[in-house]
Amino acid sequence: MQLTGKSKAALIIGLLPAFLIYTVFAIYPIIQSFYYSFMEWDGFSEMEFIGLQNFENLFQDPLFWNSVGNNIFVVIASVFGQIPIALFIALLLNRKIKGLKIFRTIGFLPVVLSTVVISLTWSLIYNTKDGMINEILRAVGLDFLAQNWLGDTKWSMVAVCITVIWQFVGLYLIIFLAALQNIPEEVMEAAKMDGASEWVTTWKITIPMIWDTIIVAIILCISGSLRTFDLIYVMTHGGPSHSTDVMALYMFNETFSNLQYGYGSAISVFIFFFSLILIGIVKKVLGQKFI
Amino acid sequence: MKKLGVLVLGLLLLFLTACGGGEEKTSGDSKVTELTVWNDWTENRPEYKVYKDIIAKFNEENKGSIHVKIESIPHDQYETKLRTQAAGKQLPDMFRVWPGARIQPLVEGKVLLPLNDILDTWEGKIPEGILKDYAVDGKQYAIPANISETSLIYYHKDVLAKAGFEEFPKTYDELKDLIKALNDQKVTPIALGNKAIWPLQSVYISTIADRFTGSEFLPSTLSGKGSFTDENFVKALTVVEELAKLKAFNEDFNTIDEAQSRTLFNSGEAAMHFAGSWAIGPILEGVENIDNIGVAPFPSFGGEGDTAKISGAAGGGIALNAELSGKKKEAAFKFLQFFYGDELYQGLAKSNIVVPVQVEMDDSIPEIYKTANGFAQGGLAPVYDATLTPELTDMINNGLQSITIGEKTPKELADEMQKENEQGKK
Repeated sequence: MQLTGKSKAALIIGLLPAFLIYTVFAIYPIIQSFYYSFMEWDGFSEMEFIGLQNFENLFQDPLFWNSVGNNIFVVIASVFGQIPIALFIALLLNRKIKGLKIFRTIGFLPVVLSTVVISLTWSLIYNTKDGMINEILRAVGLDFLAQNWLGDTKWSMVAVCITVIWQFVGLYLIIFLAALQNIPEEVMEAAKMDGASEWVTTWKITIPMIWDTIIVAIILCISGSLRTFDLIYVMTHGGPSHSTDVMALYMFNETFSNLQYGYGSAISVFIFFFSLILIGIVKKVLGQKFI
Repeated sequence: MKKLGVLVLGLLLLFLTACGGGEEKTSGDSKVTELTVWNDWTENRPEYKVYKDIIAKFNEENKGSIHVKIESIPHDQYETKLRTQAAGKQLPDMFRVWPGARIQPLVEGKVLLPLNDILDTWEGKIPEGILKDYAVDGKQYAIPANISETSLIYYHKDVLAKAGFEEFPKTYDELKDLIKALNDQKVTPIALGNKAIWPLQSVYISTIADRFTGSEFLPSTLSGKGSFTDENFVKALTVVEELAKLKAFNEDFNTIDEAQSRTLFNSGEAAMHFAGSWAIGPILEGVENIDNIGVAPFPSFGGEGDTAKISGAAGGGIALNAELSGKKKEAAFKFLQFFYGDELYQGLAKSNIVVPVQVEMDDSIPEIYKTANGFAQGGLAPVYDATLTPELTDMINNGLQSITIGEKTPKELADEMQKENEQGKK
């Protein structure tokens, strides 16, 4: 599009308010936390410049690496849980079936619910004494399978991840459905005339045609999982024994409960670069065309 | 292009002034001095009503000169918000604070106003030992409204009788027998909700460790004379491990919160509940037959500590912003002198809150409150999270949870704490 001088000015004026707000509320705080990350600061007293000491401590902090490990677990569980399940359901729903709208609404419902409500409900479902899962297992005589889902370090992370997957499947479902409906009818028809089976059509035509959307969904999914906080905060507080601690939760606790604003900022800076690099890699790997 | 520049500048100015517009309106033009008080009185509890009623009365009496505005923030977010605002130097005129280690950072950040000028108002009325919870280096920063005992044992008398205990166990060994007897009868011995990880530390360890080590241990260890690796302290941590191994708690104790565990106790599903004096109100309200509920101090553990003591700290203090001056400062002082008066303490006592002053008690006061009130007379032992640094508190909270699920041994936690204790002082 060609811009004349006049409309360029209009463009700048139009963007300016948004740009200013974004600068003040997003870019400036990021720069500020870079600055704080070089300081020893409890939030009240004078700041003291300590160079890279925070980062040195950070890299030697086993609890921090534990939270990084847990976070990677959440990312993997989300990408390999949410995306395939959402895609599968979207493919099923993408045909003329009765009650499509109802299914779509049901699928999307968890996304609209407040995370706190979801967390509390799932905590009840997982409860070891009278939670739904254990009650059912006991009712059918599978007592040995009943676990202390959230209270046992072996299961807590798995239990939390199942909830995370459940919560966001609906979001990607809607994204995929929208993409699927944009595939031109003619292409499908042509495939059918050439005698392609459903299976072949799905793999050779449908998925390649929405591949860009899948990549976007994967990136959204990764960045969302790296920021995950609220659900785990309510469900387990990172416990028991740090088994469900993730980076954002660890940062929150160090900053606000332990009053280490400098150290907390260093963690934020780490999360910032970690996410950036991870998403960069994913884009490189998945960026190549499908097939 | 020039026009554009002017426009940009204009917008920028507009934006900046909008940002700076948050400053307080000067109350100089009207005669009423307005004071804002922040607190966590959001729940529907009788003591909060007492606080609010007294403020309403103060406003009524000082109509036209002083007005106190109440702003309530839910408890769990309150302290985080306070600390964040303090970091941004945006505290209100008055705000609720907690004693000991929890006001220390605010004092060090010089955001609190000392109350020493008006301290003689409460001389001889509130015992020195309780006042000092809100004092740092000889300066008083708040006045206690109540005493929060953190370690009491509530129990169902009939359930214990069925297990063969007419009286509450006096020693730890007897308590273990009781737990075994209850488990044999398929009754949950102790209702515990440790999801938020503080109860095992604040309620259990504060008193249990004091029984083993004596009250001098904590301050001297923190100042570098003693060590957390002390045999007695490790023994105290081991009690928690033993209780978990004995299956003394409800199965889901690491996944439910403190209030939920109280429901478990109130319903009679669990025989005992270890909690602070804050539980008196909810229990009185939640159980069917009050006379069936007994309250007991922690048993003796055969250690070096005084068995009459119970861990506890002052509560309900309101601190003033260090930036108050002139008329506002005077008004705030006047308010505190009015607020922490006889009416408050009587009102609180009627709401079953343990108070730091002597008040008359009539027969209408429930037995468990009277008993709990009596325990405070034996002297108060330090509460761990009111004394430890935030880092150490976090460490022991998480460590105790790890001990209950066998991820850590008491010795390991003690070593870890001592290491942090030595590092923190550098």
